[in-house]
Amino acid sequence: MSNHLDFTRGRAALIGIAACLAFAAIPIGFAQAAPVNPATTKPFVVLSGAGVENTGPSVLNGDLGVSPGTSLVGFGAPATVNGAIHENDGVAAQAQADLTTAYNVASGQAVSPGNELTGQNLGGLTLTPGTYGFSSSAELTGQLTLDAQGDPDAEFVFVIGTTLVTESASSVILTNGASPCNVYWKVGSSATFGTTTAFEGNVLALESISVNNGVTVLGRLLARNGEVTLINDVLTAPQCSVGSGSGGEAGSGTATTTVTPAGTSPVPAAKKKKGTPTTVKAKTGGGTATIVHGPVGAGGVNVGVRGKRIKKVTITVNGARVGGHPRTVRVPTTPGVHHVVAHVVFEGSTKPKTVRYTFRIPTPVLHPRQGPSQFTG
Amino acid sequence: MIIRRPRSRPYALRGGVVAGLAALAIGGAGVAQAAPAPTHRPWAAQPLVVLLGDHVARRSPNAGAGGIEAVAARRPLTRVRTVLPVLGSRGPHDAWLRVRLPGRPNGHTGWISADRTRSTSTPWEIVVSLSRRDVVVFRAGRVVREFAAIVGKPSTPTPRASFFVEEALRLAPGAAGGPFALATSARSDVFQEFEGGPGQIALHGTRNLSGSLGTAASHGCVRLAPHAIAWLASRIGAGVPLSIE
Repeated sequence: MSNHLDFTRGRAALIGIAACLAFAAIPIGFAQAAPVNPATTKPFVVLSGAGVENTGPSVLNGDLGVSPGTSLVGFGAPATVNGAIHENDGVAAQAQADLTTAYNVASGQAVSPGNELTGQNLGGLTLTPGTYGFSSSAELTGQLTLDAQGDPDAEFVFVIGTTLVTESASSVILTNGASPCNVYWKVGSSATFGTTTAFEGNVLALESISVNNGVTVLGRLLARNGEVTLINDVLTAPQCSVGSGSGGEAGSGTATTTVTPAGTSPVPAAKKKKGTPTTVKAKTGGGTATIVHGPVGAGGVNVGVRGKRIKKVTITVNGARVGGHPRTVRVPTTPGVHHVVAHVVFEGSTKPKTVRYTFRIPTPVLHPRQGPSQFTG
Repeated sequence: MIIRRPRSRPYALRGGVVAGLAALAIGGAGVAQAAPAPTHRPWAAQPLVVLLGDHVARRSPNAGAGGIEAVAARRPLTRVRTVLPVLGSRGPHDAWLRVRLPGRPNGHTGWISADRTRSTSTPWEIVVSLSRRDVVVFRAGRVVREFAAIVGKPSTPTPRASFFVEEALRLAPGAAGGPFALATSARSDVFQEFEGGPGQIALHGTRNLSGSLGTAASHGCVRLAPHAIAWLASRIGAGVPLSIE
């Protein structure tokens, strides 16, 4: 008996030592998050259970939906919704059901002790893939960096007990292959974004989401029960493909500057004109530039430049120069041929290069409904 | 931008022929020397607004202003959503939109709230020339098609003003004016009612109707060859501006 007890104690001690060794060996963020599947919420950039109210010229690149509520306010001019609107229809209802599932999966994520961040401000942190927990509220003041360490499928899940609040001008930066498709913010009550916050990831909130003036979001704002309020914001649902085996989503690439909104009324894929370079690699200096584009949607297509050692990009669209040297522009998808030319200046000794992207949008064919002939003739 | 030329003849030649026919005043009142159609028009994408609910058009941009008329969220013939050209905006965050309205008086406008609407735009524009008796289709300010047409005869003229396409519809095989029609916001100045409708002016085909293209012989509608109206109906949707000159 005593031998058995001794053996049991010894085994327990070994397990304890092994566990301690394991914890000692695990850096912050090593514990991989279980997959969260957004399912039919993917096309949505905003989904609410109660209603969505907008003020000012907000731009939504993705679908807008509400269910079981019915209130959508402020989405006429000057606001722009480059996506479908689902007002308490079956699509929105299914998305809400899938949101509940995703929320519950995110809530059930195991948080390793090293990833417990309760009481810490997210500002200034650099986190690797994993699940991070806040037993109560989470705050972001300044910059949070999410480093995928080269794995485009890496998932970040934040399990927040109550509120998520970002201060003005805060930002979330994704690096080393991190994709906004694979970042989830489970918010136990409500989320509030301070003015001009630049946020990335999918917010799964139990209650409301309040987005103050001038916020940009590359991700989705999904509220189960409460309202979503917007003020002059730009929200873009990222392009996310189905991941392999994880139930989650694969990353949309390593470019963090290329916004790829979900098109909701897709037209035939854009065709690259033969002979137009979309990638250049310099012989000296290490500078590279690639012109990339998102899906062609009804509202437009985002075209951008990514690469190495890029100093400045000047883009012209159909012969008109775009001011401000942005690295991503949105090109309207009106029928016809569109030419995007990007002149890239590099740091160091790499000579400037020009990359081009040409695509054609076919004229959509309409099929009118049958009706009575009761005209003057 | 691709410019599609007419399949039959170069535009300039065709315009000249039509103008010549017009000068001969075949089948209608005497026509003044018709200027050739422009090949370009000043262009900016025409803003449109899609009504997501019923609205009341008002005389000025405030909720207390007198109402002009109710504007239903859907058009009466095919039940597609109402789409109106936007001519301007007013108020905080452009809360009010000045829109062109369907029906009488021809070309009238009013103000609607931007609530329960969705904004969009179109690169298309249609110009009907009563003098040349043709229909010119512009996309992004450039001519892409030109079709000979039958326009209203002197006793039942096609009204001149700025209008828009209310809805496109496919007509039954035996219906007059098939195979398609673009029902417009224009109304006849002569007929208050016609064939059960409100004297609505449409661009439609010539099936089961008489008359020769390039003449002024209709009751006010603009008749086009079946292939021409089929081309239009497959491209032109609700809200596209229409100018009858």
